[in-house]
Amino acid sequence: MKKQIATIGLEMHCEFKSNSKVFSAAKNAYSEIPNSNIAPLDMAFPGTLPVVNKKCVKDALKVSIALNCTQPEYMVFDRKNYYYPDLPKGYQITQMAYPIGINGKIYIEVNGKLIPAYIHDVHLEEDSASLDHFFDTSNIDYNRCGVPLFELVTEPCFHSAEEATAFIEHMIRVYRYLGVSDADTKRGQIRCDVNVSIADEDSKELGTKVETKNVNSLGGVAGVINYEIARQTKLKEEGRYDEVEQETRRWDEETGTTIRMRSKVDAIDYKYFVEPNIPKYKMSDEWKKKVASTIPRLHLERKIDYINNHGLSNYDAEILVKEKAISDYFEECLALQMDAKAAANWIITQILGYINKNNTNINDLYLTPKRLKDLIDELDKKTISSKQAKEIFEKVIEEKKEVSDFISKENAQISDKDELTKMIEEILANNQSQIAEYKNGRTNIFDYFVGQVMKQTRGKANPVLTKEILTEKLK
Amino acid sequence: MLEKSITELHDLLKTGKITSEELVRESLKKSHEIEEKYNAFVTICDDAKDTKVTDSLVSGIPFGVKDNYSTKDVLSTGSSNTLKNYIPFYTATVVQKLFDAGAIMTNKTALDEFGMGGTGTTCHTGPVLNPWDPTRMCAGSSAGSACAVASGVYPFALGSDTGDSIRKPAAFCGIVGYKPTYGMLSRYGLFPFASSLDHCGVLTRSVEDAAIVCDIMKGIDKHDMTSWDSSKMHLKDALTGNIKGKKLFYIKEICDINNYPNADETLKEHLKNFEETLKLLKEEGATIEEVSIDQRLLNAIASVYVVISCAEATSNMSNLTGIIFGPRSDKQNVFEMMKDHRTLGFSPLIKRRFVIGSYVLQKENQERYFKNAARVRRLIVDQMKELFKTYDCLILPVSSGPAKKFDEDKDVIDASTNVLEEHLQIGNFGGFPSITIPNGLINGLPVGINMTGNCYDDENILNIAYTLESKMSYKGQIAKEAIK
Amino acid sequence: MSKFTKEMVDDYAEKLLIGLTDEENKMVLDEFEAIDKNIDLINEIPNIESIEPMTHALDDFTFELRSDIAEESIPIEDALRNAGKTDGREIEVPKVVD
Repeated sequence: MKKQIATIGLEMHCEFKSNSKVFSAAKNAYSEIPNSNIAPLDMAFPGTLPVVNKKCVKDALKVSIALNCTQPEYMVFDRKNYYYPDLPKGYQITQMAYPIGINGKIYIEVNGKLIPAYIHDVHLEEDSASLDHFFDTSNIDYNRCGVPLFELVTEPCFHSAEEATAFIEHMIRVYRYLGVSDADTKRGQIRCDVNVSIADEDSKELGTKVETKNVNSLGGVAGVINYEIARQTKLKEEGRYDEVEQETRRWDEETGTTIRMRSKVDAIDYKYFVEPNIPKYKMSDEWKKKVASTIPRLHLERKIDYINNHGLSNYDAEILVKEKAISDYFEECLALQMDAKAAANWIITQILGYINKNNTNINDLYLTPKRLKDLIDELDKKTISSKQAKEIFEKVIEEKKEVSDFISKENAQISDKDELTKMIEEILANNQSQIAEYKNGRTNIFDYFVGQVMKQTRGKANPVLTKEILTEKLK
Repeated sequence: MLEKSITELHDLLKTGKITSEELVRESLKKSHEIEEKYNAFVTICDDAKDTKVTDSLVSGIPFGVKDNYSTKDVLSTGSSNTLKNYIPFYTATVVQKLFDAGAIMTNKTALDEFGMGGTGTTCHTGPVLNPWDPTRMCAGSSAGSACAVASGVYPFALGSDTGDSIRKPAAFCGIVGYKPTYGMLSRYGLFPFASSLDHCGVLTRSVEDAAIVCDIMKGIDKHDMTSWDSSKMHLKDALTGNIKGKKLFYIKEICDINNYPNADETLKEHLKNFEETLKLLKEEGATIEEVSIDQRLLNAIASVYVVISCAEATSNMSNLTGIIFGPRSDKQNVFEMMKDHRTLGFSPLIKRRFVIGSYVLQKENQERYFKNAARVRRLIVDQMKELFKTYDCLILPVSSGPAKKFDEDKDVIDASTNVLEEHLQIGNFGGFPSITIPNGLINGLPVGINMTGNCYDDENILNIAYTLESKMSYKGQIAKEAIK
Repeated sequence: MSKFTKEMVDDYAEKLLIGLTDEENKMVLDEFEAIDKNIDLINEIPNIESIEPMTHALDDFTFELRSDIAEESIPIEDALRNAGKTDGREIEVPKVVD
């Protein structure tokens, strides 16, 4: 059998964050208490109507622009009609004919290489209610019903689990950088449908597409892809490729396999048509420009910049761009003309360490980039030792004070040669027996004298200078 | 008392000659009589309380609400078995505005199930009889509201209009039926039939009363994105009675008796009466012209309406599954439970229309049916808008004569349906303001005439209707049967 | 030979979660025929496919979208008061299985 190439396409759903839901004014928030965030529309009470949340449209537009999609002139919604107990209206309001973005293209990083990812379309829609299953009943919680959901459909442009998961990780970061979603997989905010097919290496046509629905983790997506490639390849090897059907499957976490749900042949006709209760909303060029201007530089661009223009290692750059707030902090440091490597080093070792240990947020840190600069400047001037710098670092944060508050005379490193010489002369005068021992060859007693100086200055004597003078005096 | 107009009642209330309590009591008493005779109501609000009389013209005055409006703590069924026990926790915006103005709801009126019908015979409480002749229908779907207003239960009742559901029953009951421009009245709380065609509106016995009630109900509503700000519009104040220089047109293909080779005496009389009515407008200084419209477009009206309305309806009523509201089936499979609720709850007429609506929306059929219908809708609307650049208003006779006997019209979609019966749907296609007023009696039964104008031109249309009304003797008329 | 069949009608009805009697099914078939004839007329209108379908009553409508402000949830008693079966907090239905 010829070598097989897998082709993978993703449908990625992301829950947007907002104060209220996308078509109703109910709160958009997770709640342990069922049915505690609901508006009449969320339960489809007769006579209720959808009213579109501007923030959700704006955020959808923002992602569309960031992914280099083409936007339509009007925001138009469609109804997707089907019956299910978690869908109270009997239809989902979504976008079919004129999605908020089509034909996007971005680059993602896979194993240190940039590869293109093609986006078929992105659109804004609403989430369904959630069902809790019991022995012979199911309970319906409408809290999630109407939560803004952003769907991204890629072209079949990936060829391995690695590429597909890299894309999802990339998008999770894009959503976070754009501030449109927490994109937390643990809270089910990212859900994927995965399409996998295989074909002969030199084939121009794709094989039969198999869809696996509702995969909620990166591990799951990788699992689905690897399992499906293996399953389909094995069937092909055995001459049973006709058993690979256009079908919908689901991922079974426990067994690490996909399980058939239904054939695509009996797929539902969703009878899409334009939602008549939502007039077409003209998105002016002016508004699009304004939204575009709020899009920050995204992580990959920043990372490449840090490596190419600021001399950072791939490893350090990757850590810095992991979170936008950290990266923003670093960029503020750069704007203050700080040395990139020094700043990066401080952020990665000290700041991230502190944040993790104290479970806090970089934006809440009293040590702003400006204060970090003050600290590093003092260190550069050698007015403080690196040990002192680390102490001052914590003090600035804990006591909410300026760096200069800790560089007072009494705290500053003693680098005055005359002052130190005088002090050392006194110490030596009081330690005649030790001098004798030293001169008799017990050279390790040198450290004793250093210790005495440090003791007397409470560690503030400039160690290099201290050693210099001591060596001189003990000759 | 309740045969009087809103302003008359208001004056009597203001001067203390009557009280709100007396009006409520009279309206409730009358409601029970009319229910007995014509089966017009789903609910009579026996616990309705009088209100304080204020400067608002409707304060202290009873009114009726079609049962497809959501009313808090009052049964709201849409005249359907699928909602026969549904008690909403919120009130429709337009109803709430009337409550806030001090009007008192004394009953909920019967309709063709969810407004999907033109006969008033498919209500889950049984057919509504015409107060002029109980062997005849009121037409629909606002049958109960038309019947009650014509019988003098109160001066006004709310209706809704997706094809002609206010304006046709108004004609058949000898009263005024007005649906303003789409979006002037919020639809929040109106059970949807076909959202892009649904209008709220009112049935009254005078144009002035229609203007008064809509002045109160109109306004932008944060719960309805299709509503708009009409605060600069004052409908009642626009009724000047001066229509000098106004230009009206009628459609030749609809009004020419020669187009009806099999016309009976009634139709002949109806069209002749229409011509006579036009003369009254001319006397007031208006000009009236005959305009010819592509017969193909006119013939398409009924199909365009059926295709679009059925398609939207099948989706709009997908929430009726008996899970959150409505009687629940005891089937043990959840999908069978939903199906049972729908199969038992909907009348055969509605079920058929759902199937049609679903068919025209199927992927493989959408282009040919649904999209082409929507395209012809645009052609018709564009043609009308073009004409409204020249003319103030389209004027046409309503239906082919007075109310039909119960055994005449079966509400079946029939290829031979003539344009005369369906042309009011043009008003829904374009969201145009449209008003029907009585313009005569044929064999002792009322007939109506309709005026339709361009969007947002409600003041003008109402003034033309008001002026015409003042030249005739049907203003404020009460059904003869009902008085007996 | 009609392009509409009884089986087709039943299939559409089934997808709408509706059961039809034979008599109702027959009526739908008759109505289909009538509509179809009329649609044939519509399709004769020249260049019909080039026209933008009209999806809203007012399609030159300008308006503003809703500000992102959350409102209080509806009380649970209101939400559940019309439901056939609840546990006091959620609506209960027979177990949903795919």
